[in-house]
Amino acid sequence: MNKNILGVIDATTYLDPLKDLTEQRILAALPFGGRYRLIDFVLSSMVNSGISSVAVFPKYHYRSLMDHLESGKNWDLNRKRDGLFFFPAPNLDIPFHHIGSFQCFSYHLDYFRRSTQEYAIVTNCYTVLNVDFCEILEKHIENGCDITEVINEGRSLEIYLLKRELLIDLIVERDKTGYQCLYDLIEDSKHPYQVCTYDYEDYCVMVDSIQTYYQTSLELLNPSKWQELFKGNQPVFTKVKDEPPTKYAKSSNVTNSMIANGCVIEGHVENSIISRSVKIGKGSVVKNCVIMQKSSIGENCVLDSVILDKDVRIEDGVRLTGSQDEPVVIKKGAVQGVLMT
Amino acid sequence: MVKTKCVAMLLAGGQGSRLNELTQNIAKPAVPFGGKYRIIDFTLSNCTNSGIDTVGVLTQYQPLVLNTYIGIGSAWDLDRKNGGVTVLPPYAETKEVKWYTGTASAIFQNINYIDDYNPEYVLILSGDHIYKMNYATMIEYHEKKKSDATISVIEVPWEEASRFGIMNTNSELEITDFEEKPEHPRNNLASMGIYVFKWSVLREALIKDSENPDSSRDFGKDIIPQLLKEKKKVNAFPFKGYWKDVGTIKSLWEANMDLLDETNSLDLYDHSWRIYSVNPNQPPQYVSPDAKVKESLINEGCFVEGHVERSVLFQGVTIHKRANIYMNLLSCLVR
Repeated sequence: MNKNILGVIDATTYLDPLKDLTEQRILAALPFGGRYRLIDFVLSSMVNSGISSVAVFPKYHYRSLMDHLESGKNWDLNRKRDGLFFFPAPNLDIPFHHIGSFQCFSYHLDYFRRSTQEYAIVTNCYTVLNVDFCEILEKHIENGCDITEVINEGRSLEIYLLKRELLIDLIVERDKTGYQCLYDLIEDSKHPYQVCTYDYEDYCVMVDSIQTYYQTSLELLNPSKWQELFKGNQPVFTKVKDEPPTKYAKSSNVTNSMIANGCVIEGHVENSIISRSVKIGKGSVVKNCVIMQKSSIGENCVLDSVILDKDVRIEDGVRLTGSQDEPVVIKKGAVQGVLMT
Repeated sequence: MVKTKCVAMLLAGGQGSRLNELTQNIAKPAVPFGGKYRIIDFTLSNCTNSGIDTVGVLTQYQPLVLNTYIGIGSAWDLDRKNGGVTVLPPYAETKEVKWYTGTASAIFQNINYIDDYNPEYVLILSGDHIYKMNYATMIEYHEKKKSDATISVIEVPWEEASRFGIMNTNSELEITDFEEKPEHPRNNLASMGIYVFKWSVLREALIKDSENPDSSRDFGKDIIPQLLKEKKKVNAFPFKGYWKDVGTIKSLWEANMDLLDETNSLDLYDHSWRIYSVNPNQPPQYVSPDAKVKESLINEGCFVEGHVERSVLFQGVTIHKRANIYMNLLSCLVR
């Protein structure tokens, strides 16, 4: 357990390549892996690392995120002391400064000042991984670093560890130093700090486009990747939904798929990720698809390489075919009939 | 503060001896069911879905798992500032320890608990039935009929009627007499073990019964006959829908297999009447390229590589390659 780190999740990011899936929701709340939202991975990593105070900084369309996190109960963060804090940006015209915008943090400086933790970990909200932050802290202390940046195969994962006091200084002095975020500081060759990198070698992906979202989702069907993400002793927590177990009918035929609870499957499902409470009708074929929660697929449909967002209704007999590089995306709440295709 | 109209008392202390090994270490209401649930989830979910937020759970036999499972009732949204769920074990008094010797004695010993809320009605439930029922409708019926007691009944096949407690009624559905497991049943309306009482009437009856040394302290055998003798108004409330007493291994297994039936009338997938339970929070189930799954119910955290047919898998079960599972019930963490 380590009560010495403050968790800071910057959820202000908007990524245009994910537009079709984030028009109505903040990136942090994008459904992933059948029953999770993207933020669950960093948030659960923090909780599993013993972090008991987590601040989330959202910006656009954060209703879905608030609905998901609630009081933090599912992460055991509904505490009397510390817990989960929600700090929305007070206005939307703050210029976007990469992850960890000091201006964004400055509106809630009180939180940083009032906290007692010695260190702070600053992360983005769309990296899928299951990491033990304590190990990073150990290395950070061992190497006498001021700032540790977590990387994977040479690429920054946008996860930074530093002393809380240093973070406060950087926020307060941002106009003097010219660093508007941690990225600016690290990119500047003349900064006075000891910056280290921590190479995280386990499974991790930054979901920054439809293609990565689609490929990463289907990669979960590889049992070795699955096991690297869902480690037995570091569970990934999420909002629980009280769905019944999934029902496989006599007519169902399921192979190589990950299926969440509450589904009723009467058709053929292959190489797909099926979220909670999805219905797949008789005679339908669902191949290489990512189906989000509460969507329903009628009878005798053929869906290949398709992403269905939440609450989509596919009527009987519809055929939709995308490709590995360009999956068809059906937006949240859409109704797709035969005549429209 | 809004006055509590009805307090539910859930009898969960029975041994369930006909379930043999399943209830060696846990009480019957805590026996797992349907891939995810414990039997008591159905009654507790019915309470919360019916708007009854004050529930006393009477425990006695092997209560550890049951107590831990119920906790403060948050899984069923019964963690309330006023009311909520209260576990009521038997207790010691200055002179003696009083075990619950029957269903009526369990309620009698908790008169103080009910008096605290001073409700108009008390709903008596048992924790060993699988069904979905709106108790609010039954209470409304009880009010409309101006009854002293209302007993929920279900039509059973005539040939099975001699296995149940049978209610004989007049045309107004007023109960005239009660027969426990009659050899020659005159009616096929079986008691479901669900009672609504006017609290003042039940309170008096319980006290009177406690003074009778010959009483077996049972609702069916003592309290109801006593009320009938006193010409109190006792009505039958006919229930239609799925209801199963899962008191034996056979009926428990049948109820599980019923869930696999496509025409089964117990709909677990109806979002307007969810069955709540303590969620295990495990990743979605994985069905491998070699796996075959047919007519089954599978919960999260399962890893299926073999052949599964007409089976119910609870959370975290791994089915290895070449394994064949047919008509099975696999509970937590079998490997």
